[in-house]
Amino acid sequence: MKKRRTARVFTRRDFIKGAAMGTLGMALYGKGRPMFAGEAAGAVPFAADDPQSVVVLLRNEKAVGPGDKVDAAVVQEMIDTALTEFSGEADTAKAWAKYVHADDTVGVKFSRCDWMKVHTDQAVIDAVVKRVGEAGVAKERIFAQDGGLPFAKCTALINVPPVKVHTLTGIAVSMKNYINFSPAPSKYHAPSTNLGEIFLLPEVKGKTRLIIVDLLRPYFGPGPQVNPLHRWNYHGVMVGTDPVAVESVCLNICQAKRNLFKGEPWPITPPPDFIAAADKTYKLGTSDPARIKLIRLGWDKDILV
Amino acid sequence: MAQSQVTDKAKILAAFPLRGALPPEISGWKSGREDQVFTRDDIFDFMDGGGEIYLAYDFQFVFVREYVQPDAPSIVAEIYQMTSSQDAFGVFTHDTDGDEVELGQGAIYAAGLLRFWKDRIFGRIMADRETPEARAAIMGLGEKIVAAIPQDGEKPELIKALPAEGLRPKSLSYFHTLISLNAHFYLANVNILRLSPETEVVLARYEKEGSTARLLLIEYPSVERTVDAEGRFMEMFLLERFEAGRRVPPKKLEDGNFAGLLRSGRYLIVVIEAGKKSVLEWIIKTTFHNLEGLKQ
Repeated sequence: MKKRRTARVFTRRDFIKGAAMGTLGMALYGKGRPMFAGEAAGAVPFAADDPQSVVVLLRNEKAVGPGDKVDAAVVQEMIDTALTEFSGEADTAKAWAKYVHADDTVGVKFSRCDWMKVHTDQAVIDAVVKRVGEAGVAKERIFAQDGGLPFAKCTALINVPPVKVHTLTGIAVSMKNYINFSPAPSKYHAPSTNLGEIFLLPEVKGKTRLIIVDLLRPYFGPGPQVNPLHRWNYHGVMVGTDPVAVESVCLNICQAKRNLFKGEPWPITPPPDFIAAADKTYKLGTSDPARIKLIRLGWDKDILV
Repeated sequence: MAQSQVTDKAKILAAFPLRGALPPEISGWKSGREDQVFTRDDIFDFMDGGGEIYLAYDFQFVFVREYVQPDAPSIVAEIYQMTSSQDAFGVFTHDTDGDEVELGQGAIYAAGLLRFWKDRIFGRIMADRETPEARAAIMGLGEKIVAAIPQDGEKPELIKALPAEGLRPKSLSYFHTLISLNAHFYLANVNILRLSPETEVVLARYEKEGSTARLLLIEYPSVERTVDAEGRFMEMFLLERFEAGRRVPPKKLEDGNFAGLLRSGRYLIVVIEAGKKSVLEWIIKTTFHNLEGLKQ
């Protein structure tokens, strides 16, 4: 396929943002799509030959059926396949064993947002918990929770967020999923630039073994409460270990969906500054699409990325 | 929860007239759990950080009732009591995607979600999943609420100054602060325009001569604050030296679009992302003219 690149100008709004953040290079915000470091050289986003981070996206048309009913068996198979691909191991058991050990205390951090109703689907949570158990972790040492998860006593965390565009942070995936690990979560709302520092809290740092993203039914609208028109069945799951790369890919998917919905650029707002800050300031991973390799598996209709 | 807060909520529930307008049952859906009220003090318990958007308006409290029925989606009715009709209208303009329906002073329905406003009330009724029966029940609840609100309220005076020609349908939003502006349209992560709870802001999109533009019309509480915002926008966004009274012509920016502004007393007319200079000038001129009419 021929490599294609879209011209992108540095706007006045980028300039103001860059000045406020102390570096112009941190500007991720663009008119409908993010900019990235390799763009000028003609790099194709998320196709790094020598990637800093790998992300696996797997979609299955049968994951969500009529009435938005999620097929739990299909979801389990999707997660297993995606993780096996990501790990490079031969089978599911070996793949999970690479990230979770029998002597771990595991926190499965999902999101259950009663007011917005864009939760991590129960099928995704159940699939993860089942495999963690099969990896040898005793039931009483698996904590699958949103609020109140005892992360301090966990030796391993599995970050299992849904995907939603968010009124205050721009987007909410793996980074915002940890917001309630902070004693002062509201300080990461508008602006959310420092969201990445939560990953460096002593009781959180280095514990995230896997990120398994529920991309079955993401949300791309402005919020703060859900408008059903802004939710779509994407039929996907994503696996990675780099929260910044995961966030960057999901941002691109949601931005593309917004543009399609309006038939013109509909930039995510406020711009999710925290993604670039998580890369440049907190060194949690890469936000540069030229340094990310996205492995796409399964159904590719309307994949958007 | 503090005892005083419980008492206050009990008083709100007892005194809220629209509570009585909601039936205990509609088309087989019955009131599921106890009615709830959330005030400015605990709105975050209801909608987490999303409460910031309501707190940016003169929100007083939200009354919440859930309706349930076996083997049917649940329906939640939320009635937001605002201090002014202008802010009820403002909250309504936060998200306008959906189909307009005839209800109250404005209503939009989209796939199981009804949003409407009348006087000082903003309402939001939503089913977990849309079905024909759920839609009928939602509309029925909306009609009962609206019928119990005795009068219409005024829209913000400021919107009368908007040029009518070229105004993109459903593009108008009304708010006060930076957090609302950023939710609609990102200008900058610093408060260049000095927005505050005391400012009134209308944001609208225009289509004219085959191009588009955005208008931000802002009313400040004093001329001094308007001049301050004018100077900041000129220096930080247009990168032009500011002197009180100095007019700066529309400026072509890096993306090829034009931006410009004009102050009129306590009002600031800002046009951004204008594809054509002539459209920008027309919007500013027409808005200025309309404002003169408003002042009289």
